[in-house]
Amino acid sequence: MQDAITSLINASDVQGRYLDNAGVEKLRAYFQSGELRSRAATTISANSSSIVTQAVAKSLMYTDITAPGGNMYTCRRYAACIRDLDYFLRYATYAMLAGDPSILDERILNGLRETYNSLGVPIGGTIRAIQAMKEVTADLVGAEAGKEMGVYFDYICSGLS
Amino acid sequence: MSLVTELILNADSEARYPAPKELRIFQDFLKTGEQRIRIAGTLSENEQRIIQNAFAKFWERCPVTPSNSGNPRKTASCQRDVGWYIRLIAYSILAGSEQPLVEIGTVGIKEMYNSLEIPLKNIVECMRCVKEETLSLLRPEDATEVAPYFDLIIRSLS
Repeated sequence: MQDAITSLINASDVQGRYLDNAGVEKLRAYFQSGELRSRAATTISANSSSIVTQAVAKSLMYTDITAPGGNMYTCRRYAACIRDLDYFLRYATYAMLAGDPSILDERILNGLRETYNSLGVPIGGTIRAIQAMKEVTADLVGAEAGKEMGVYFDYICSGLS
Repeated sequence: MSLVTELILNADSEARYPAPKELRIFQDFLKTGEQRIRIAGTLSENEQRIIQNAFAKFWERCPVTPSNSGNPRKTASCQRDVGWYIRLIAYSILAGSEQPLVEIGTVGIKEMYNSLEIPLKNIVECMRCVKEETLSLLRPEDATEVAPYFDLIIRSLS
């Protein structure tokens, strides 16, 4: 994985250069966002299970997906679904701390769409749940940190669709 | 690899959120960002000057060495290599981790210079000169950040 710092270092290293001014400015902005990022991570980590519960209530719970014949019917499937949402939230939090989405590709998105398709997990419903999680998280952590988290939730959604 | 990545991979290997202590380390590290940017800037702006002065000192201490053999190509490639190490140290300072320096510059360093038939003890002496020149340009608190990376290069050569 990369983070906001190593992605700039790697890009400079292939050219054998020091960071240019634009790179230094990006780095400075990242360094200054430390408190915002760690505060958001603390809040999310303290509330992770209730974020997932609320997101499911908002998006999936009262739809056909939880009824007999739906993909979240049976406790086993329901449990698998909330476990995956839990993963998405944790990895989005990692990416937010890193200021870089590469860990999402490496740990979540590679092969996920194919896996879901072969298991019959509806992509549309998954994306609705992730979007709901984005809203719930933003309500909890505030607008600025919520926007930053939103970048990584959206990244997961676009990687799935 | 940076301090941030290390911390995240650590948490991920245990499938948990970063612990309060880790988030404190993360935040404290980011707070030192201005100092890190300042050090990397000084290294980048003064690279040529450091190299000139360090090699003058090095050739005084160690006159019989490939870079001082009168072959301009050898001199240029030795000086270029030293410039690279200064750049890698700048990366490591920004990343708060020795990993950029190690991954790019010290794994295999001995084997490489042995195969190039450059005496390792000369490179060590040369790196000492580069270290002295570099530290002389920095504020004391910045010098303490930079010195360990030179020591790491010197250690990996011996």
